[in-house]
Order: sequence, then structure tokens, then C-alpha cells
Amino acid sequence: MEAAPDISIMRLLAAFGLLIVPLALSFFLKLGFVRQLFISAGRMTGQLFLMGILLVYLFRWDNPWLNVAWVIVMMFFACFSAMVNSKLSFKHFFLPVFLAYFVGTGLILLFFNKVIVNYENIFTARLVVVVGGMLLGNSLNSTIIGISHYYEAIRKENKRYLYLLSLGANQQEALLPFFREALRAAMRPFIANMATMGIVSLPGMMTGQMLGGADPETAIKYQIAIVLAIFTALTISVALSIYFTSRQAFDEYGILKGSLFRR
Amino acid sequence: MHCAYTDPIIHKADAWKMIKLENVSLTFDGRQLFDRLSVEVPAGGRLLIRGESGSGKTTLLRMLLGFVLPDQGKVFVNGEELRVNNIWRLRRKMAYVSQEMQIGNGRVESFIREIFRFRNNRGIKYQKDKVITLLDDFQLGTGTLDKDLEELSGGELQRVAIIVTLLLNRQVYLLDEVTSALDQPLKEMIVNYFTNLKDKTLIISSHDKIWHDQGFPTIHVGQNGSST
Repeated sequence: MEAAPDISIMRLLAAFGLLIVPLALSFFLKLGFVRQLFISAGRMTGQLFLMGILLVYLFRWDNPWLNVAWVIVMMFFACFSAMVNSKLSFKHFFLPVFLAYFVGTGLILLFFNKVIVNYENIFTARLVVVVGGMLLGNSLNSTIIGISHYYEAIRKENKRYLYLLSLGANQQEALLPFFREALRAAMRPFIANMATMGIVSLPGMMTGQMLGGADPETAIKYQIAIVLAIFTALTISVALSIYFTSRQAFDEYGILKGSLFRR
Repeated sequence: MHCAYTDPIIHKADAWKMIKLENVSLTFDGRQLFDRLSVEVPAGGRLLIRGESGSGKTTLLRMLLGFVLPDQGKVFVNGEELRVNNIWRLRRKMAYVSQEMQIGNGRVESFIREIFRFRNNRGIKYQKDKVITLLDDFQLGTGTLDKDLEELSGGELQRVAIIVTLLLNRQVYLLDEVTSALDQPLKEMIVNYFTNLKDKTLIISSHDKIWHDQGFPTIHVGQNGSST
């Protein structure tokens, strides 16, 4: 199969032309998105171009240390983004969430590269950077859902938590129902999504590989493997980020610290 | 950390000591709720806390459980000053039921059973016949056990919460407006039930006249500080 032809800049501009529709809707119906839409589309373009330049060099040099370093930088951004989108304080949460990503996606990335794909060099850029990016990007949303759900629920249903403590629960026991519900909320969308994959949606990685000239059969196998890897990575990342943050989110009396939330 | 303790007095009902606030001051959300409040409840004693909503009745009860710490002054439970190293043990001597309970979801019976699976409650056996007797006492059908917690009305939920604390057989009952949402016969029933628990300490916050009529020692909180 043939690799996808390049898109000229002029034709790429045509893609931006598509934005007229959402912009018009947003403008006439006063959705209040116009400014934000420009900023977001602008950021997306800029970031991807930068990423493109960066990838050219990462692929050219293909230095294992550099590749791993770049994945860690991506984890840093993923963590930062998760924090910005939740109402939680950076000071308490940044490090534990970062650690959770590091362990969760790091382990799964190694597993994917070594056990599933088994290239000669498992630290090659196309594996570490590309697959690492997919794992991180896709577990980001779930982590935000999970961790926000957990702390918001403890705050909102504070009486339930205190009631359990007063019934003799130790802290882990009183937190278990909240942990359970947060994990459910974080995992549920992906589980639902998995069930429709291939029917309702053709996932991005597969589409990309096929456009790039890969055999559909290979593309599908990669897709199946990456979906399972993403799901496991996000489960570990969510569970660990709650576990790691929980250790310092409460005072010695078992009370949730008020300083956890940004005002 | 606080799990492996042995408490010799747990088997001697009469060894329970007083609950006491000593010169407690607390400012909460910029409002002074208590100004050098002192009050003592002997073992097996009763105390009624009265005051407008928002005057700090709930906060006072939560202070006894170590959920809220005073700015100044001391809180004693069972004669011991509340500290980090005894709060987890002392909490297990008290039962706390508040208005508008939040219990969660799932079947009522599974919830109750889960309480008995807590490490600290493993010494207490789950006795279904006792649960059924209590459900009956509190005018909830046996069918309640199979209902989902989310199906229960506020009043039913509160009574389930009370039953759970009774099953755990605590020394002290902190009841925060537990009768306010109930109709008159149920109010009477609950007041009778608790006043008959002679050896238990009862600390009650309520607007209800029916508690007032019991002639318990009373403190008023709110307005110009607190008085007994």
C-alpha cells in the first residue's frame, strides 16, 4: 500500500475553513465560544507544528535517553493539564499525580514495547514517543474525572464520610466507597467506548497507520493492543493518583484539608 | 496505626467517665460560635443543646468527635482530653446521627453488613434477628433490608442510621436534630427509646419541644456567646 500524499499548506487552510461553521453557530447563538475557539484552534495548530518539528529530530537522532526524557516531559504536561482542569491545588497534588502517571503509563509502555511489539530496540522513538503519547493523552481525561470525582464527593458527601468514621471505620474503610465510585466514574466511559469501537468509530491510531500505508490487518492488531494498553494504563494511573494523593489529603484527625481546593 | 489496641474498660459499663468542654472558643467562617464555653456531662447523663440553625449545634457535636477542633480550650471525652493519639479510639465509643443523613447507595442490608466488617467492629456479631426487632421498633418493615438506600425517604434513612448505631452499642449517643423530620408518633417513639437507655450518655441538639419537655440539662448556643 502507498503512503498518504502530503497536504499542501493551501489545502490545509481549507481545513481551517471548516471552522466557519462552529464559529458562525457560536457567534449567532451566543454560545460564548468565539474567543476560546480561536485560542484553542491556534494552540492546537502551534503545538502540533512544534511537535512535528520535534518529532523530526527525535526520529532522526533516535537516542533512547532523549526519547525517554521526552516522555517524561509529556507526563509533566499531562499532569499539569490534569491539575488545571480540576479544582485541586497544585501544591498538594502535582507530585503524587506525576508519580501515578510515571508508574502507570511507564509500566504499560514497557509492557507494550517489550511483550506485545518486541522491537529490537524498545526505546526507539516511534515506540516510546508515539505509543507513550497515546497512553498519556488517553488516560488524561480519566484521571481528571477520577481524581475530581473522588475529592468532590468527599467534600460534598462529607456527612457520609464522617458517619462512616463514627461507625468505627478506619480511614481506609471510610474512604473505600468513595474510591470505588471514583474508579467507576473514571473507567466507565472507556468501557462503554470499547464496546462501540470499530462500529461507531474508527480509532485514530488505526486510521493513521492505514493512511500511512500499513496493512489493515496489522493496523487492527496494533489498535486492539493499544486500546487494551490504554485502558490498563488509565486504570493504574487513576487508582494510583487517588492512592498517592490520599495519603496527604487528610489531617491526623482524618479530616479532609480545606487547602486542597483552589478557590 | 490505631488498630491494635486493647481497651480494658470496654467490658465495664460503669467505668465510662464524663464528657466535658472546658473554656472552648471557636470561630468558624468568620463568626464566633463559642466564647469560653464550659459544660460537663457525667457518665449516663443527658444534655440538650438548643439554638437557632447555624448557631453551632452541629459544630459542637462534631467537636466531641474530633471532626472540628476548637481554637482554644479543651474537649474531654471519657475523661480524656481529645488528642490525635486517642481520637480514633474515643470515636468508637460514640455514635453520631445527624439530620439529612448521607449514607450512600446499595442495599440496606449490604450496607449494615459492611459496617460489621470494619476491622474495629469485628468483635461485634451481626445478628439479623436483632436488626429485625429494631426495624420493627422503629416502624420500618423487614422489607427495608432489601430496599436500596436511595429509595428511602429522609426520615427512613435517619432511622436506619439510628438502628446501625444501636447495633454497635455505643456509650455515647450524639443526636443532631434526629426527630425534626419525623411525625409526632415517631418523635415520641424515638424520644422514649433513647430516654430508656439509662446507662448511655445522650447529647441531643434539637428544636423539638418534645426533647425540651424531658427536663434535660440544657445549654443555649448562638447569639451572644453560649450559656447554660
